[in-house]
Amino acid sequence: MSVFRSRPALRWLVPAAAAVVVIGGGAAAGTIVASADPSLPERSAAQLLVDVQNAKVDGFSGTVVQTADLGLPSLPGVTSGAGSSEIMNLVAGSNTARVWYAGEDKARLALMGTLGETDVIRNGSDVWMWRSADSSATHFKLPADKAGKPAKPQALPSGVPSTPQEAADAALAAIDPTTAVTTTGAAKVAGRDAYELVLSPRDTASLVGQVRLAIDAEKHIPLGVDVYAKGANNPAVRVAFQQVSFEVPDAEQFTFNPPPGTKVTEPSEADIAEERAKATTPEAEKAQKEAAEGTKVVGKGWTSVLVAKMPKGDDAKADNGAAGAAGQLDAIVGTLPKTSGTWGSGRLLTSALFSALITDDGRILVGAVAPEKLYEAAGK
Amino acid sequence: MSAVEVSGVPATPVRRVSTRFLRSELRLIAVRRRNQVGLAALAAVPIVLAVAMKVAAPDTSDRPGGGPDFFAQITGNGFFVALAALGVELGLFLPIAIAMLAGDAVAGEANQGTLRYLLTVPVGRTRLLAVKYAGIVAGAFLAPLVVAVSGLVIGLILFGGGDVTLLSGTQVGFGEALLRLLGVCLFLGVCLSALGALGLFLSTLTEQPMGATIALTMLTVASFVLQQIPQLDWLHPYLLTRHWQDFGELLRDPVSFDALTPGLLSAGAYILVFLSAAWARFAGRDITS
Repeated sequence: MSVFRSRPALRWLVPAAAAVVVIGGGAAAGTIVASADPSLPERSAAQLLVDVQNAKVDGFSGTVVQTADLGLPSLPGVTSGAGSSEIMNLVAGSNTARVWYAGEDKARLALMGTLGETDVIRNGSDVWMWRSADSSATHFKLPADKAGKPAKPQALPSGVPSTPQEAADAALAAIDPTTAVTTTGAAKVAGRDAYELVLSPRDTASLVGQVRLAIDAEKHIPLGVDVYAKGANNPAVRVAFQQVSFEVPDAEQFTFNPPPGTKVTEPSEADIAEERAKATTPEAEKAQKEAAEGTKVVGKGWTSVLVAKMPKGDDAKADNGAAGAAGQLDAIVGTLPKTSGTWGSGRLLTSALFSALITDDGRILVGAVAPEKLYEAAGK
Repeated sequence: MSAVEVSGVPATPVRRVSTRFLRSELRLIAVRRRNQVGLAALAAVPIVLAVAMKVAAPDTSDRPGGGPDFFAQITGNGFFVALAALGVELGLFLPIAIAMLAGDAVAGEANQGTLRYLLTVPVGRTRLLAVKYAGIVAGAFLAPLVVAVSGLVIGLILFGGGDVTLLSGTQVGFGEALLRLLGVCLFLGVCLSALGALGLFLSTLTEQPMGATIALTMLTVASFVLQQIPQLDWLHPYLLTRHWQDFGELLRDPVSFDALTPGLLSAGAYILVFLSAAWARFAGRDITS
């Protein structure tokens, strides 16, 4: 301490060192996690796919964080202002959810908000949705025949091969023309060792650089997905477990009793059937058909471009909310940069992962490609 | 630096550290009229809020998410008056209260010319700073507690109690809810202590207590504003007020204490850096007033 007494200026080294340690410590913690390379026995892409299909967990719980940085231009009414934060968080921010899972018929997802929460809880044939913001709950009853049956894993290709190995081979073969599938050594997600399956588009015109899927080395369930834009070092979209535990959660996590004072909506089976009937009325079918006619996909694989007709201006029929939304949409479109070419003219939205073109003749083109590809598709 | 500091070193190493200085500091803070009035103002906010809700309540339940957080639930359960009041006061009232205490801590003494007399008693400067900070911390924990207790009392009188609905839609008994409210107050106490550390540092920079108070209030408001700007998201993890709203984690079911860790770590980092900065500044400067 005598040094400090004779040279008071040296005392400032203490807070400076503290600041460096604190800030550096925070940054280092991030990089250590990222660069950690646990040594795992090698597994091929096909083996990993088999693992995922055979994965059997009795239950788990954890925290999932979704972050997005799509590099969108600033859009008035969307990227700024209060009240838009929820939408905004999906494209340029982060969302946190907690999940609990105990078998096929017991699951709970809680989407965290600041001082709020939205829960979706499935317990047997009961499905509850709870929103703390307005203390409302919605109760669905699953039809008995569906409730017992486990959902078919969506990863299975339609041919339904007899063994997982065949299925994996078939899946790899199916995507091989468009996608290079490789594995990296290993990764660490939520403190667990994981294999990484890397999908990279063979078509260099795609804006997507890589899709990385982290698969738990022990339990074989996916722990995270990162989507990288081409040439980017940080993922544009990331959904990953921040923390995960493979203990089966208590049954009480899945019981939900609407607290008193809650507005409970309970769409009965009859209501659902009615909705379904409405959707299949001739007019609705016609509208769907019209929409389908205007919609087509140009191109293949990663560089396919979706071409659709903009919804027609039938604002008179729509209620106030929809009209307001449409007006807002117009306002947003109005701020986008104008562009024109041999294909016509329109407005362009570009981001790190996708581009969208809204032409003046009422078409909308979207794809994970550079704008030039969109112009090409628009000219067809 | 001076004879004062040398004599502050205990003559015999076994001498027990007396709490007299700390007690005198706490008494000084407690009897200061402006502190009493400030505390009364903090306690008045939940009362005003509850009475207003009682007089003009019914229409809030129709609007989804009407009013700020927890307002809609107030009419159903008086418990939420405390939470709503804490949420409202966290934005400005509580930080101002801490800024006032912190401004007084060193700059106030310097302004009154009492700092040099204080240093003539056999007390080291480091110890003086520690005692001053202890006073601020006491205030930081007391202030949210006062708001919560005042809110609870008026809420129970006007709206009654009963089982409390948590953010997750589950209900807990009133006793457990009180425990959670205490947890919220303690968490906010830690957050405000971090603010107090920054305030103590500012207080050592000036001889005008008002300057330190205003600077700290402005920094708090600026931090809240910066937090709202999405383009500055790289800065957000470092902001002082970043994790203050995390107190809501204690109102979920089950409580995830992991979610509180970032807030506590951030507060700890602020305390560490700015207390040591305050020490570097204060112990090394000449006291002229």
